[in-house]
Amino acid sequence: MNTPLSAEGITKSFGATQVLSGVTLSVAPGEPVGLFGPNGSGKTTLVNILSGLLLPDAGAVRFDGKEITRLPIDARYRLGIARTFQIPHPYPALSVLEAVRVALAVDTGKRKERGGTLEDEEGPAEDLLARTGLFDQRFVPCAQLSQGCLRRLEFARALACRPKLLILDEIFSALSAADEDDLTALLRAANRDDGTAFLLVSHNPPLLKSLCRRILVIGEGRIVRERTAW
Amino acid sequence: MASPLPQVLLDGLFAGGAYALMAAGMALILGVVKVINLSHGAFFTLGAYIAYAVAERGVGSPIAAAPIAAVIAFAFGVFLGKSFVNPVRNHPFALPVGTLACALLFEQAAQIIWGPHPLSIEAGAPWIGPGGLVVRRWGVVAFLSSAALLGGLEWLLSARPGLPLRLIAEDEEIAGSLGMDVEAIRYLTFGGACAMAAAAGALLSPSGAVTPTMGRAPLLLSLVVVIVAGMDSVAAIFLLSIGLGIFGNACAWFLSPQWSYVALLGAVCLLLSIRPAGIVALAGRRD
Amino acid sequence: MRNAAPFRGGWPAAGIGLLLLFPLSCPDAFFLDVFTTGFLLAAFAASWDVVGGVSGQLTLGHALPFGAAAYACALLTSVAGWPLPLAVAAAVLLAAAVGTGIGALSTPLAGPFVALLTLASGEIAHEAAVGNTFFPGPGGYAWGGEGGIPVALPWRDASPFSSYYTALAFLCLASFGMLRFSRSGAGLILRAVAGSPITAQASGVPIARFKRLAFAVGSAFAGAAGAGFALHVGRATATDLSLELSFQAATFAAVGGRGTIVGPVVAALVLHVLFQGLSLPPSARVLLYALTLLVTLRFFPGGVVGTARDLASRLGGKGMRPPRRRGRNRSGEGTP
Repeated sequence: MNTPLSAEGITKSFGATQVLSGVTLSVAPGEPVGLFGPNGSGKTTLVNILSGLLLPDAGAVRFDGKEITRLPIDARYRLGIARTFQIPHPYPALSVLEAVRVALAVDTGKRKERGGTLEDEEGPAEDLLARTGLFDQRFVPCAQLSQGCLRRLEFARALACRPKLLILDEIFSALSAADEDDLTALLRAANRDDGTAFLLVSHNPPLLKSLCRRILVIGEGRIVRERTAW
Repeated sequence: MASPLPQVLLDGLFAGGAYALMAAGMALILGVVKVINLSHGAFFTLGAYIAYAVAERGVGSPIAAAPIAAVIAFAFGVFLGKSFVNPVRNHPFALPVGTLACALLFEQAAQIIWGPHPLSIEAGAPWIGPGGLVVRRWGVVAFLSSAALLGGLEWLLSARPGLPLRLIAEDEEIAGSLGMDVEAIRYLTFGGACAMAAAAGALLSPSGAVTPTMGRAPLLLSLVVVIVAGMDSVAAIFLLSIGLGIFGNACAWFLSPQWSYVALLGAVCLLLSIRPAGIVALAGRRD
Repeated sequence: MRNAAPFRGGWPAAGIGLLLLFPLSCPDAFFLDVFTTGFLLAAFAASWDVVGGVSGQLTLGHALPFGAAAYACALLTSVAGWPLPLAVAAAVLLAAAVGTGIGALSTPLAGPFVALLTLASGEIAHEAAVGNTFFPGPGGYAWGGEGGIPVALPWRDASPFSSYYTALAFLCLASFGMLRFSRSGAGLILRAVAGSPITAQASGVPIARFKRLAFAVGSAFAGAAGAGFALHVGRATATDLSLELSFQAATFAAVGGRGTIVGPVVAALVLHVLFQGLSLPPSARVLLYALTLLVTLRFFPGGVVGTARDLASRLGGKGMRPPRRRGRNRSGEGTP
């Protein structure tokens, strides 16, 4: 099968309200996919289930042919599914460089589990920060970053595991034009050069059209439309 | 006496009623101020010592001591709420440690003022009921006045004067935007809840020895109550407190007094292990 | 913050030098004893900081591993007749195991509930220690209870000098170890978990395992301090498990600055020597600790180190110092 991520019949309700009723979707390797939907359509719930923050009531999530429905978010990150948050929760006391090094510790094998030294990650961490335009601010505590820089940091953190799939939750909302341009360029480059697939959640149709080859439209808890954008 | 069981049940019922008053105060703080107040037990102890001091001056009735204790505790509670809890309430470290510091501060102060030795209050002759059942006057007083106060609280919360409290418990921003002085309501609620704990302490003071650390067990009991019963229903708090009061009394009677404390500690550990979300009102807060 | 503690360079060396000189200039047995206890308490405060400061797991039952190790030392030497070094090693292992267990129980809990769980478990241990007395042999006094259990020491009447220097050496070694741990990769990840568990988890950190690790390491050091305390006093008593002791550790850490290891050590030494040196009764001491803590929490939430750092950055206009390499500082420029 040629799909790194597939979800089948995902159902989720909170109390009496059913948020998702049987969502089925798949993302092929290297494929840029958009997820569009109005507020309250269940986008964020779906993203939380796909990234491992929530358990679905029914349905299964598979990645690379493996069932990962019950795998927590940290294990999924180590498998190569990275997600960003719409509202970043930065480490207040850590510097930008340290924040990226925490994420990088995964990439260098099992080092994180043993808690060995992280000196080896300085180089890759600085490369990542240079790519995301945060290099000059690498010693700044995360708490002092602007909203745009926090999004860049989210991006750097997500790229640190060389993900096969990026799940981006509203990463472009409420950004300055310059930040938005930089981040779209980064996303394109990651997709083109590293073959990273992504699932981009947004309610900005022009942006989705320009970045994604396929756009899924979610409404009232199910995928109501799927269209190919050229 | 033929069987100690009716006696244990009755005394537990009386104590549980007063504990419910204290637990309701804890729940009020949780709901409105949204903090766990580890100094709640100290206010219980304060109430008991005030009752002792009042009894020393010849007024041997807890019904007279409870209002005095409540007023004094209200003053302290407002001070604590206004000058410490409100300013640091968004600091996840300062609150539990700080309120524990208040509790220890008071325990040590009580030890310096009244000495570490257990003090006892002359409670008056009990009535002897059928079958040799001892009906203690203070118990009847404690149970009835706690029930009356809780009924009043329930009415207050459901009626118009309780509207600001309910609103703040639901959504502070809306309450603030309606022009309510959220900060003032918070520290007044804190003071009121502390007064409830002190009143419970004063009402229960004749039940046993008055010691500096006597508030620790009721504190844990209140915690167990708010974890299990939540903060919505005063009736649930009342019933559960009575259940725990009887349970604690049975532990103290059949095993040894310290066992009721250990049992409550164990209950806290067990509850937190099987119910990691803890108290629902705080679950939404990130800290 | 990596290498950002103000105690770089010679300051620790100068402090250790002064402490090394002190017994030679003031051979008063009382003050030597005060300092010896202070060293052990300082190591205990630093071990609290590993759990409560660096890793952000607010424990109010840190006396549990401390007292467990003290009691293990006493019981293993006096009752089971083990040789002392073996008993100490077993005590430290026991403390680490106890810590891992508490850590495992508290990992699913958030913020104040960790405090509740640790407080309750510490109090259970304290009640168990107070409530159990037994007779070790015919015709003897009862052991256990408030009076505690004696440790069978291979020496008799250790000289205050040797106790002083041994405790100082222990404090230096232990603080060095904990400082290294907090600045290692694991320490960085623990500070990330403390700062924002959700981001750490989304960065691939198995946070439950790291929280257990924090509790295990902090408790092992607390156990070492507890075993040392039992050896110094010659007895394990119920106060080794008391809520007041856990609270003292949290006080030292809050006053010195959480997460810095060095701050709690300095705060513990200064406060303990000050309050103990004045020969205050125990209840007045705890009262003063509580007052100090309340004032610190209310007015200096970052502790002494945090406040000093804020002051320095305000006066010097500097933010964070770059670690060990040149780097331009752009703090304040990031905000539009």
